[in-house]
Amino acid sequence: MNVNTMAKPFAGVTTFTQSCGLGTAPVPLEPYRSAAFFERERTQVFERAWLVAGRVEEIPNYGDYITVNLLPGNVPAIINRGKDGTVRAFYNTCSHRGSQVLDAGAGNAKRIVCPYHAWTYAADGDVVSIPDEPSFFNVDKKACGLSRMSVDVWEGWIFVNLQKQPEVGLQEFLGTFADRLAGVPYVAADRPIVLQADLDANWKVVQDAFIESYHIPAIHKKTIAETFSSDENKFARLLDARVFGPHRTVSMYGNPAMSIDPAHKVTMLAYASGDTGSLISAGTSAQMDAFLRHDAVNPTGSDCWSMDVNNIFPNTQIDFGPGGFWVHQFWPLTENTSRYEVKFYVPEPLTARQRLQQEMYVARVIEVVLEDLANVARTQRGIDSGGNDFMQIQDSEVGIRHSMDQLLKWVDAPSVTEALR
Amino acid sequence: MSGARLPEGFGDLERYCDTWGLHTTRERHAVRCGSTMEEIRDFYDAMTDRAAEACDLIDSYALDSLPPQVNNLMALVLGLAQAHVAVEIHGQPRAPGTPWPNSLKIVRGLPMLG
Ligand code: FES
Ligand SMILES: [Fe+2]
Repeated sequence: MNVNTMAKPFAGVTTFTQSCGLGTAPVPLEPYRSAAFFERERTQVFERAWLVAGRVEEIPNYGDYITVNLLPGNVPAIINRGKDGTVRAFYNTCSHRGSQVLDAGAGNAKRIVCPYHAWTYAADGDVVSIPDEPSFFNVDKKACGLSRMSVDVWEGWIFVNLQKQPEVGLQEFLGTFADRLAGVPYVAADRPIVLQADLDANWKVVQDAFIESYHIPAIHKKTIAETFSSDENKFARLLDARVFGPHRTVSMYGNPAMSIDPAHKVTMLAYASGDTGSLISAGTSAQMDAFLRHDAVNPTGSDCWSMDVNNIFPNTQIDFGPGGFWVHQFWPLTENTSRYEVKFYVPEPLTARQRLQQEMYVARVIEVVLEDLANVARTQRGIDSGGNDFMQIQDSEVGIRHSMDQLLKWVDAPSVTEALR
Repeated sequence: MSGARLPEGFGDLERYCDTWGLHTTRERHAVRCGSTMEEIRDFYDAMTDRAAEACDLIDSYALDSLPPQVNNLMALVLGLAQAHVAVEIHGQPRAPGTPWPNSLKIVRGLPMLG
């Protein structure tokens, strides 16, 4: 294991809130429990922002499709790849009488056949056949294709937009964040492990639990506290935080002195030959080399780095760590429930020990997620009590402050252009 | 030996095949969450004794096309990932304060025995 003994003492109190141009006042709790705010979020944020709906590796070939349910409006969509190789998105509804044309899931359909009366569509959405067509009344087949949803692809990420005519394109929406993350090699993007949970907490309560490291020594005492904090940095203060319009990145400290207890036989067996310097990684540094050399990965070039959090507004988080990337999504269900999904990407194992290490990584992150999930329900109940109207936010929680700042801007902004200003 | 579920020399571990050696992460996770610390410890001790030897044997085959008996042995090695959570991390079967059963679903595991 690559233990760095040259670590510098941690520099002390940070000032990221100021350097990100944010205020320092307490932050309102009403958006975490209000049905009215939930409704404004749905229409002003989730129906106007570009939303990450998948990755291109999920649909590599002609006819491959995935279905997604875009919450909070519960809009069912199909994303597929056409004969021409183009990625398209459609509302999952038939032009005849509205049935969903594909059941939830993933698969390959070069022809999409509606289960109700067998109207048949090509992968590009055009109607190819209507049973008993002469009995219709001059139906205009050209106008009866599946309804298109706006879609665009950036760096392998598939985004959709629920505005019929998006006010801003994906590039403009991503702004300078796209430049920063350009060219990141997403290693093992075709090998996700997918975890999902429906939670008794507002989606922001869940997201907030994943964009700060302040809670780690307390909530994750045994699972990852040692990875994220040390005597030098007891409270897991941040290495870096920057904002890019509504998006942001936060770089977290990692404890370079972390070592393996020789009594831990399984950890010894799996990690003795490992070299990523982290218990939360599944790849070797050779597999991760190009990824780790990218400027946006460990952006301060710190010897004491655990991971970076990259938030794409409003609800997607792409994390970078020594062993690769993983992705969280936080979807609103109601003002105090949400759907959480996380995908960890793990390269093909070369040896039995590496496969074991991957399984230990999965097992450990599941425990970490469970610790967080038990915590978010407790937090929501506290917020719902109405005893407090504001929360106190410290510098390491700058991501939460920025997220709320942006949401408040978006729910009020009459146009996306103004929201992005 | 015909009918054996594990490679020669590992027969004593066969008693774990239907629990810790199940073929998905979801099932092995459920076994650990539903076991007592004594049951976990029993598997942990028996399996860690043989794990290095098992890994070496597995590595003499191509990992993506293991014969059935070797595949069953690999599944047992992966059972250690679950046992280690209890023994080496929590000191108890599950993370303190986390409910079981819970709403977290493993929708998709790793391609091999995941
Ligand atoms: S609703 Fe699809 S064919 Fe009738
Ligand atoms: Fe956490």
